[in-house]
Amino acid sequence: MTKPRVAIFDFADCEGCELQIANLEEELLDLLSIIDIVSFREVMKEHSDDYDIAFIEGSIMRPQDEERLRNIRGHAKILIALGACAATGCVNTLRNQWTPDEVKKEVYGTTKLNEQLFNVGPAKAINEIIPVDYYLHGCPIDRDEFKAFVTALALGKKPETPTYPVCVECKKNENICQFELGNFCLGPITRAGCKAICPTHNSPCDGCRGILKKPETDCVKDLVTRYDLTYEDLKRRCTIFNSGKEACQ
Amino acid sequence: MNHPTHTITKKELTVFVNHLIADKTYDVVGPKAKGKRYAYDTLENASELRLDHDVTILPPKKYFLPITETLLHYNLKKTYDIHPATDARPRIIIGMHPYDVIALQQSDHVYLDYQKDDFYQKRRANTIIIASDIENVSDRSFAASMNTHTTNDGFDLLLTHISTGYAITIGTDKGKKLLERHAITKKITPVDLKKVTDMRTRLTSKYKRTLKAPKEDWPKILAANHDHALWEEKADRCMECSSCTMVCPTCYCYDVHDATSLTLTTGDRFRTWDGCMLKDFGKIGSGEVFRKEVKERYRHRFYRKGNYLPARYDYIACVGCGRCGIACLPDIADPCDVFNDLARFGTDKDTNRYYIKRTNKPQEKGVIHIPRSATITRIQRLTIQETLYELELDDKKPLAHKPGQFVEISVLGVGEAPFCVSSAPSQTPAFEIAVRKVGSVTNKLATLSVGDKVGVRGPLGVGFDTKAYEKKDLIFTSGGIGIFPMRSLINYILAPENRPKYKHIIILYGAKKPSEVMFQNEVDQWKKVPDVQVEQTVDRCDAVDCWVGCTGLITTLFPKVPTQKLDTKNTIAVVIGPPIMYKFVIKCLQTIGITDDHIFVSLERRMKCGVAKCGHCQMNGVYVCKEGPVFNHAELKNLPEAFE
Repeated sequence: MTKPRVAIFDFADCEGCELQIANLEEELLDLLSIIDIVSFREVMKEHSDDYDIAFIEGSIMRPQDEERLRNIRGHAKILIALGACAATGCVNTLRNQWTPDEVKKEVYGTTKLNEQLFNVGPAKAINEIIPVDYYLHGCPIDRDEFKAFVTALALGKKPETPTYPVCVECKKNENICQFELGNFCLGPITRAGCKAICPTHNSPCDGCRGILKKPETDCVKDLVTRYDLTYEDLKRRCTIFNSGKEACQ
Repeated sequence: MNHPTHTITKKELTVFVNHLIADKTYDVVGPKAKGKRYAYDTLENASELRLDHDVTILPPKKYFLPITETLLHYNLKKTYDIHPATDARPRIIIGMHPYDVIALQQSDHVYLDYQKDDFYQKRRANTIIIASDIENVSDRSFAASMNTHTTNDGFDLLLTHISTGYAITIGTDKGKKLLERHAITKKITPVDLKKVTDMRTRLTSKYKRTLKAPKEDWPKILAANHDHALWEEKADRCMECSSCTMVCPTCYCYDVHDATSLTLTTGDRFRTWDGCMLKDFGKIGSGEVFRKEVKERYRHRFYRKGNYLPARYDYIACVGCGRCGIACLPDIADPCDVFNDLARFGTDKDTNRYYIKRTNKPQEKGVIHIPRSATITRIQRLTIQETLYELELDDKKPLAHKPGQFVEISVLGVGEAPFCVSSAPSQTPAFEIAVRKVGSVTNKLATLSVGDKVGVRGPLGVGFDTKAYEKKDLIFTSGGIGIFPMRSLINYILAPENRPKYKHIIILYGAKKPSEVMFQNEVDQWKKVPDVQVEQTVDRCDAVDCWVGCTGLITTLFPKVPTQKLDTKNTIAVVIGPPIMYKFVIKCLQTIGITDDHIFVSLERRMKCGVAKCGHCQMNGVYVCKEGPVFNHAELKNLPEAFE
């Protein structure tokens, strides 16, 4: 069996999802026994444009990033969104509520900027530009999910990520419900796959793996009223990771 | 009936529990405080045990049907190398409330019935249950209405809190021996005995939530209210999180997956709790989803509790623990509320209408979920999408299937999927399955070659009762890949030794287009058998295709059925095809005078375990993998989920 050639690329992000892969540490050798990594800027200096599978980390900000992304899509047989920035736009899309000029002014004041580097438009998830084959959700991604994903691809099996909410995994961990503790948790409307890591460590879910039901859905509205919240509370909480176009609107 | 016979002081009970913990023979578990709630966990010291708990977050079912449980280990570097998982460490559960004891007795019916679940059975045998009477009632519980607040059996020992300590009821010899070996007890006094009786009497009055109609009415209430507006109203608020089923002591559905190591060398096949409220629960390989609407899934859960399982096992599958009421955020899951709402909308005595009773036993008696190895002996490409595989079991035994039965085929590392056997039983020792590439297993099968190994479980389910078709005229109608199982039946019936037993035979076979017509050589052979009329059609024929036969949907073939020649009142019709086909073909059959009880169909669902446990293939009260996949149409008329 020839090993698939894999490239990992980053755009606007914190590189935390790439770090999750780098943090496989000794398991990296196992990973390399089933795939060849031909490009991975965070951990190696070699690069090749000859690859079958591309993992994309980060949101897309500038025209030249769009062009680079299209170019990668052209090379890759399979393209995967790696983490929330690529999958939904994540926190990057928070700034879309202001114009690029307002943002630049807020951050850099009156300093003269190199327009070539700072010609940012609204932040986008990668599927707003190119077709995406698979999504690895989360901020950051879950290492076990990444491993299961790669082994599935290597075995010729369709990788599957959960379509159900975090509550399923939270219940399996036998946690006390965050709502019972008086906290407002996005678990009931957020895609699982994180093993309910936040509620398990006593922090309500913030929805980093993407929202399954929009705040306008009847059952979500009902929940908001039942727990003495407001639609604005909910919207604000959802906004952290899900203000992008494809996420909840 | 068991009565308390001993008492133990609080101090001595602590000593007893600490003895058990120190013994190290057992894992000793019991309810411990978890914040303001309680959860079963391993006890390090008796002081952690909270016999005063009201209810735990998850039921103790997690010790019998673990949340995630390995079924077998495999090694992909060797040729078909599997080892059933073993986890048989003895355990003592202390503090199980009566409703959980009763829920466990219900699980015994599911897991030890039909094909016994070896994993469950081993754990059950290795566990000692020290139950405890309820001291504090959970706000959401309605166990008194369900008569599950006390129990007379199902435990090895039962503790009842009284002012002087605990009264002990001995349930089994195992419990008695444990007590003799580890505890200092006294014979119970009449005064203490009265305290136990009083305590149980008082308990009933502690329940704030009660049922308006007796639980025995649930099956009747549901029989009358299948289309009640309540299902939709409540389902509109459902978050589809399945928390209700996760925390339920009587829910038992699971899903099975393969997890392979990163080096692709070894892996585990494991099962994990699944919930019928989740959208993908009824999703099959082709992507089709059964019970697609939230309303249908929401209703399904209540019917399982109050109608389907009562029809099958003769008990109400709810013990009133109230866990779902606590867990459900929109508060729509509590059976007490739902049945109290529905109680005023009438009842119907026909409570078994959604269930089909069968007494079949599984032919395969091996360890549950452990497939036998088989070798691919021949591969024949049928179309671009479909391929025929001939398999031979490595134990050299014939499969011994009936036409219409199915097998579960495993490709280690990828998973397991159900396939109807396509060859006739006489064609032994090998058998054939025909496969359309739709999901992971079928796509992986497409990459295998002659000599490769796969796993086989089966034959499973109920096939065609060919004996009952003897001395009758037969009409076989199949569309698309419905020809796969139909071929098994036709080749059986047309075999020279069997043909004389049947009268006129009409075979109608439709495909989408000429390139999707399969087994044409065999179809041509069928035409040569005396008194067999074969009619074929394709839905459409593009200019590039070569097709001399009829075009149009399968129903266009019915005018060619020589009804004058047939004794239609006694004619048997067998229909196999895509769900959409059934409705129209059955109508045609009825028009020519064939009665429903003479029409047989084979249905497709997500058959995962194949032995009536995992819940995925259920349609109304019926497990397609056990009661089917072959059904009589008259039986299906009352099952709204049959032809959805």
